[in-house]
Amino acid sequence: MAMYIRVKRDKTTYFVQCDPTETTLDIKQKLLVLIDQPTDNQCLTLASSSETLDDSKTLAEQKIENDAVVALTLRKDDGEFEEVYIARPEDFTSYS
Amino acid sequence: MEETTKKGDMVKLISAEGFEFVIDKKAAMVSQTIRNMLTSPGGFAETQHGEVTFPEISTHILEKICQYFYWSLQYASGKETEFHIEPEITLELMMAANYLHC
Repeated sequence: MAMYIRVKRDKTTYFVQCDPTETTLDIKQKLLVLIDQPTDNQCLTLASSSETLDDSKTLAEQKIENDAVVALTLRKDDGEFEEVYIARPEDFTSYS
Repeated sequence: MEETTKKGDMVKLISAEGFEFVIDKKAAMVSQTIRNMLTSPGGFAETQHGEVTFPEISTHILEKICQYFYWSLQYASGKETEFHIEPEITLELMMAANYLHC
């Protein structure tokens, strides 16, 4: 395994194995299997810079490194993409 | 390692606060405890659904553990990097690691 990225949306984190030579679209195709959402309905944003990732560019070109956090947003019914939302554990009560 | 993502090869770990971490089964199996849950023939509910809930492990600790699983696979394949642990989470992380046998 070359590397992995952490794709986050709401309270869910997907650890996705990938290679620096893979494109954003390759990642979306892997997510398609996990979330049943076509690649056209997915938008990926690098969390550290808030830059939207370009489907045709590779991870290396977009400076995405091992363990990077990428926010996933999905297309809403009205055709627009939802806002980036990653839940924070502090906002939820732990019962432990 | 197989690079293709298949749903059946992934498992979901759920933290105390209900946060979900979807990781490769191979990574999860770094933990002997999870390995036993996922592979035992006796029919843990976890085996069928590929979901394991940890009501006693908080989200940031569970995420760190998932990162450790992947680091461990990378390390085993020859990529020798340091695994950074913030001092303030050390105790809680050790307790979780002890429980998970990893």
